[in-house]
Amino acid sequence: MNRFRRQFFIGLFALVAATVAALWAHRRFHHALPDYAFLTGWALFAAMFVLTFFNARKKLPFLPLGKTETWLQIHIYLGFFTVVLFLIHLNFRLPHGGFEITLAWLFALVSISGVVGLIFSRTLPRRLATRGGEAIFENIPALRHALKTEAENLALGPEAKSPFIGEFYTQRLAPYFAGPKNQWRHFTESRRALHALLAELDDLRRFANDSDREKIEKLAALMRQKDGLDYHRSLQLALKLWLFIHIPLTYGLIVFTLLHIVLVFGFSGGAR
Amino acid sequence: MSNQPSVPNFDAQNYARPNQNWICGHACEGHACRQGPDANGRCRATAECKPMLETKPGEIKGRWRCTRSGGECEAGPLPDGSCCRPIAKCSPVPTLRVWRGRMTLAVVAASCAVLLVLVGRPPWRNQFISPGEISHAHSGELFAAVFATNHFKENCQACHVAGNSGPGGIVTAAMHAKPGILDFQGLANARTAEPTAIDASCLKCHAGRNFHQANAPPISCSFCHAEHQGKIMAAPTDANCVFCHGNSATLVAARVNGGVVPVIHHFAGDHPQFRFLSEKWRDPDTLKFNHALHLTSATIPKLPGGEKLDCTFCHQPDATGALMKPVTFENNCRVCHSLQFDPATPQLMLPHGSVESVTAFLRSLPKQYLNLAIKENTAVANAFVAQKLANLRTLFGSGEELEQRVFFSTATYGPETQIGTLSGSTRAMFPGCAHCHEVKATASGLPEIRKPVMPERWLLQAKFTHAKHTAIGCAQCHDAIHSEATADILLPPKETCAACHSPRGGVADSCAECHTYHKPRIAAR
Repeated sequence: MNRFRRQFFIGLFALVAATVAALWAHRRFHHALPDYAFLTGWALFAAMFVLTFFNARKKLPFLPLGKTETWLQIHIYLGFFTVVLFLIHLNFRLPHGGFEITLAWLFALVSISGVVGLIFSRTLPRRLATRGGEAIFENIPALRHALKTEAENLALGPEAKSPFIGEFYTQRLAPYFAGPKNQWRHFTESRRALHALLAELDDLRRFANDSDREKIEKLAALMRQKDGLDYHRSLQLALKLWLFIHIPLTYGLIVFTLLHIVLVFGFSGGAR
Repeated sequence: MSNQPSVPNFDAQNYARPNQNWICGHACEGHACRQGPDANGRCRATAECKPMLETKPGEIKGRWRCTRSGGECEAGPLPDGSCCRPIAKCSPVPTLRVWRGRMTLAVVAASCAVLLVLVGRPPWRNQFISPGEISHAHSGELFAAVFATNHFKENCQACHVAGNSGPGGIVTAAMHAKPGILDFQGLANARTAEPTAIDASCLKCHAGRNFHQANAPPISCSFCHAEHQGKIMAAPTDANCVFCHGNSATLVAARVNGGVVPVIHHFAGDHPQFRFLSEKWRDPDTLKFNHALHLTSATIPKLPGGEKLDCTFCHQPDATGALMKPVTFENNCRVCHSLQFDPATPQLMLPHGSVESVTAFLRSLPKQYLNLAIKENTAVANAFVAQKLANLRTLFGSGEELEQRVFFSTATYGPETQIGTLSGSTRAMFPGCAHCHEVKATASGLPEIRKPVMPERWLLQAKFTHAKHTAIGCAQCHDAIHSEATADILLPPKETCAACHSPRGGVADSCAECHTYHKPRIAAR
């Protein structure tokens, strides 16, 4: 059994065991403890705090707090368990009132975005590896610019002598090389746009001599490279964009949770 | 996947750290400067090199030397020691990390702002932070009227001290809560149903818990009465009821006048038998009625529509469907039981409902016959009246004897089967009031007829609705076909109810299904 599989089974076992224990405790103490909701609330908040600390942990690599990989595993399985705690805290009922509904929606969005992120981080790197090539997201504009320059030189440079290739480049390929294209199609693994453009380029062969055909071949190769670059951008962007929901909403959730704690104690039976 | 279009591999020599916050503005053109932007996103580009001053032995001024990597430039440093090839400044571009951080800050700031606005303004605050709709009892017109009288406002403040405070007041209230915010031990050790500070608010109106029994233990109001659950306050759970009713010590302490309240945990289990059975109640009604005879006897005739007499002919649900309409002579009995006293005059009927009316009717028989003659255009009215009276005298003797017969007789004019028959040309004769009623002679001369008393309900501590039980037949619960005496109370025993209302039966069996809270009201009978 390899390390990842072992991690998965340990995490899954821990999650199932914790869930069973929590549900048993809920059944046992739900009616027995008058302040049960307060206790489950604190447990939920503690879990949320640990989950949030994962982000802080990544920014404090110098502290001896264990490996980030371990933290990530804890983050994933504790995240799922937090959903169980959340349902227990709600006593498996829908919340009421504007504040509590907002709080519940924030929790739901953070949880769902986390699950989406987990799915992305488990599937998209595999797709990127299958497609081949390497490109750091921040370097993609530079790489694209280099491809564009090369294609421009081929089609419009001083040695370019084919007006139909130049015209085709100006009309059809210049916009293609100018920026990222077909981002959603790449995400859904569709190559239709590239093949359509390659087919158009291929049609130029009818008018081309040997030298022009060589240029067309090179342009097609550059288009494929650009397509691969766009593919990397699309998937890498998805790998980053889910965090734009997950992290900001997490901190928003923390703000709402802190107020929730103040409100329940300020308005609870123990308050004067 | 050999035909996969590949990506140009990045230049490992020019590796840019992905956790950088800023990227050189020239990076997208493929020639980012080596220094890159500083941590605040400012371009640090100056020149291609920083010339170094070399002073040879014997020289005073020295000479600036180009330090450009990749070789000295042709022009060399300027006389003032600066590089002759300045690098064009760029506008550094923030990375996605920076945008994510900005978005996080924006969300936090927006959350704080929204919460400050909503929590800071009282009209919005009350609506926004309320965890659910207040029950009608605590939000309706009556409640508003009560609080207007007591100089309170109808808002959160009515129950919550923090309800009329600003954000600071709420925080202060939270800090002074008992158990406190971080008092985990106090939270874990809180006793069930223990009165809390907020109960004081309840007692402003419900002084001394005045709608409870005086001997009820002093538990927290909110233990049973959960607010913010909707317009109708949620019924207490079984756990609430069993907290007292399942605890023998509590029940012993709450005993009144030596009475014993049994320990109860479940309806199908240790809930006692219904009191009408355990205490052998008898229906005190004096009306003589035999359910078995009416439902099973072959002598009972068919109804006018040809239908057999059954439960539903007399027992019709009321407008709510919960209970049954009262059974009346006019609606339910007269169709079979005629008040015709003169065998030869079916048009003339005794009145029903009052001894005085019947007596007055009998003592004015000549007038009654005369009215009948006029109504039917009889040619010789006086002769008609005289003949009728003569016939009555032949049958019953004097007027006094006729009265005695009408009030006290239980006999019939023919076979018993004719009492209620509708067959033949005439309806059944009137046998006498005493046939159905309890009739007593009195010194005043007028007999006394006991009014029938038919209780609408027997088990007043519980609620019941027939409307929810229409799927089952009457006889499944009411054993009427074996009841011959009026004194029989035809309610089902607990076991009949528990056959369905139990975990095994699958129908709800919580305490609140049948019981509302029970301050002693009126006697069960």
